[in-house]
Amino acid sequence: MAATLELPRPPHVSHDDFSRADLEFRGVDHSGSSFDARVYLDNHKADVDSGRGEDSGYAGSFYVFGHGGCFGEVGHCDVPEGPRGPYDRRLPHQLTPQFRTVVITAALRRLMCAGEADTFTVTVVPVVYDNPASLVGDVKDPLRFESVSLITYDDPSAAGIPLPGRTG
Amino acid sequence: MSAHAPAAATQARALRHRKNVENLSAAQLQTLRDAFAAAEALSDDRGFAHWAGLHGLPLPMYCQHGTRLFLPWHRAYLYFFEFALRDLLPEAVLPWWDWTTPASHTNGIPAAFAAAKVGSKANPLSQTTVPPIARQNGQPQKTSRNAGQPGDLPSAADVQWVLSLPDFLDFQGQLEQIHNAVHGWTGGTMGEIPWAAYDPIFFAHHTMIDRLWRLWQIRHPNPHLPADLLNQALPPFPMTVAQTLDIKTLGYAYASTTAHAVAR
Repeated sequence: MAATLELPRPPHVSHDDFSRADLEFRGVDHSGSSFDARVYLDNHKADVDSGRGEDSGYAGSFYVFGHGGCFGEVGHCDVPEGPRGPYDRRLPHQLTPQFRTVVITAALRRLMCAGEADTFTVTVVPVVYDNPASLVGDVKDPLRFESVSLITYDDPSAAGIPLPGRTG
Repeated sequence: MSAHAPAAATQARALRHRKNVENLSAAQLQTLRDAFAAAEALSDDRGFAHWAGLHGLPLPMYCQHGTRLFLPWHRAYLYFFEFALRDLLPEAVLPWWDWTTPASHTNGIPAAFAAAKVGSKANPLSQTTVPPIARQNGQPQKTSRNAGQPGDLPSAADVQWVLSLPDFLDFQGQLEQIHNAVHGWTGGTMGEIPWAAYDPIFFAHHTMIDRLWRLWQIRHPNPHLPADLLNQALPPFPMTVAQTLDIKTLGYAYASTTAHAVAR
């Protein structure tokens, strides 16, 4: 199932006031199936058939390489909550929710050229890979994350080389 | 024999050079196949299934994804797996699958891995058996693929953009996204973490990822890495992140281009 969130429009004077724009997704669940999470700006009706064209508002994707379910006894896949102790050198739990960055520079510039609304929407559409080997996990509804943030950068070096369609 | 003569042609260089799988000579490809076949025939801790299982099932799963250890852990993994192959066949070297090339965008999976048979024998690079201890919830016994459209593989421009990113963690995060997309594109066994490494193409895919990290290191020779990251261990391997940074100290390098011709 897709998720739509609303974000305030960045307070830049013009569409080229930033060198790079990122959507940062926090708390991304990866315990189930693998999928392509397609991100659309100002298209709350986007679905798996919307494609990746500019007209659809497609801004980029993050990809979840899933664990395909839990393979331990009861409690094995419960991610510990709360801060780690100062002497706890163990690696994080395998299913600790992840952080994903989608670079949306070009799409955000297009959006800012198109209008001056105070807010815009971010719609995330999970496209689950057709995987006959996968028999576990919530195949139909794998998309879960805690929050999304928009971050823009002025530093040109943060943007990398210009790439049409990706960094503008 | 002269004291200055090389002991064998294969020992002409101290470093082993990993090559593009599309450019292997027939002899090099046969060596790779023989090494995988020998590993797949072993059921102990020298065997292919043991090494595939370190990445995923059976528990514990050691692989690192979505963490700061993604690239270092997989570099260590390839390093020890390559030695396991070389214990069985000393000339074996892991090749990479460059999924950005016109050939990949036309044909998809390289022929070396796609062909079900080589002559009358099963191709050990095409399919392996997943042991019962790693199969749960009805997972099939044999590995499979369900590849997407070749044109949907990551482009050379995608890779060049990622290589231009100056911050290591930013680079690593974006490269991991490309990596995830190729796992999903290949589909089947490669599509989910617990079983991905049971498909032999996993290792060619990750050798490509490791090569891209090496290319990034050449472009960005003095990156800032957090101090606590450098001293982080990479279990189950007796190696820290700092010890993965210089591949020449690990005894290997990446060939830039290769070509072959057979003398008449």
